[in-house]
Amino acid sequence: MSSETAPAAPSVTCILIPRFELLAALGERHELLMEPLALAPQPDREQVVGEVSGSAEAYGIHPGMRLGEALSRCPGLRLIAADPDRAATAWESVLSALEQIGAGVEPGRPGEAYFEAGSLRRLYGGRLEGVIARARRAIGTTTRIGAGRSRFCSFAAAGRARPGRGAQIVPAGAARAFLAPLPVGLLRARLPAASTRSADLPTALERLGVRTLGALAALGAPELADRFGRPGLYARELAHGLDTPLRPRPLRESLVERLDLPEAVSGFQLDQMLTLLIDRLLARPERDGRSFRKLRLGARFVEQGAWRHEVTLRQASADRDRLRLSLSPKLAELPAPIEQLSLGIAAFGPPVADQIGFESHDGSERRRKLTEALRQVRATAGSESVLRVLELDPGSRVPERRALLTPFPEL
Amino acid sequence: MGKRLYRPRPASVELGPAGVPATIAGREVESVLEQWLVEDRWWNGRPLRRRYFQLTTAGGADAIVFCDLESGRWYSQRGA
Repeated sequence: MSSETAPAAPSVTCILIPRFELLAALGERHELLMEPLALAPQPDREQVVGEVSGSAEAYGIHPGMRLGEALSRCPGLRLIAADPDRAATAWESVLSALEQIGAGVEPGRPGEAYFEAGSLRRLYGGRLEGVIARARRAIGTTTRIGAGRSRFCSFAAAGRARPGRGAQIVPAGAARAFLAPLPVGLLRARLPAASTRSADLPTALERLGVRTLGALAALGAPELADRFGRPGLYARELAHGLDTPLRPRPLRESLVERLDLPEAVSGFQLDQMLTLLIDRLLARPERDGRSFRKLRLGARFVEQGAWRHEVTLRQASADRDRLRLSLSPKLAELPAPIEQLSLGIAAFGPPVADQIGFESHDGSERRRKLTEALRQVRATAGSESVLRVLELDPGSRVPERRALLTPFPEL
Repeated sequence: MGKRLYRPRPASVELGPAGVPATIAGREVESVLEQWLVEDRWWNGRPLRRRYFQLTTAGGADAIVFCDLESGRWYSQRGA
């Protein structure tokens, strides 16, 4: 293998920004990375640690380890509240930057993405190095880049590349030799997470004395299938440098509305805030008449950390009341007081069609005219031109907390 | 964030000897109808402390002003 050579075949390129979620949670406090750190478990999730710092790794702590075990290995381990909202926003900007150079991107975990560089070569000088250099400029941050014949091979190569320096490229035909000396621990989080067998597989292999990918590749498929089932066969394929084809994500738009809350709110006020966010999303011109299929509700806690929940609607809708009914129960799951609430669109549904009825009622004709008038005013004077008063906390002793002007909902 | 109604507006207030407003924007205060204290958010490091005054000015107009006890600045506000 070589660095920045010109192989013909490898074209799956991996962008790797290690500890991306941890860095996002730390914000400006990067100096803390020198200490043993780990992302704390989410309040409503399994009690395992998230990404860990290099110092924590030195204690044998790895992502996915039980919190109790991590603390027993390093009693001084500092837990950092995860900020999934900030991490997702920062990661989305990286993915968008790659898509803007023409790459069809398959996102992995935050901090890990893949794209097929073969079709981009002609755009950037005819060589893989040209594509990689362009991708590095587009991302604009210190990143590790690797390329190989498969997803796993490029991931392993990226892990060996120096951050911000030349990419590690595994030439065609050298994938198995490149992977052979690497530890089976690399398979961690590479295997489908659906089964506990998969999660424990690298540990089980290590206990059986299979410590390198080369040793794994040398094992027979029937024996692995017998002991580990399908995950064992898949792990063997990865060790051979094989992998499933990339599945680039469809291009999508990011539509998010955020609301900073002046103080800790709950119950009725939180519902009203949600209504306001729904109104604002429905009034966004980028929506272009489309309904919503999947929404992302996010919150930032007053103390530290954030919360995120995706809600998939049974039926795509642009109906304000229906959206509120679907989202409102999720607010009850918030584990702590919040200072920011956000609502984003994860997936659009089909455009909302005008239903043509057999009968024309007086009310419907009036409604149609009013809808058209609203549409024209908005087209002329902007989406914020037609507003209504939304009562947030009518009984508040602080007058400016009682009501907001919010976009008039579509009829 | 939507536009909030009843937002406070900075006011020019001169105090009398008793520590209550004597003039608002140059208009003399005829009487103080009521005064009250609002304290909130003391738990989150961004406390809100206001002393409100409901007043009648020399022209007969009602006005509500408050002093932000954190910054010492004066504001007028509708809806209080």
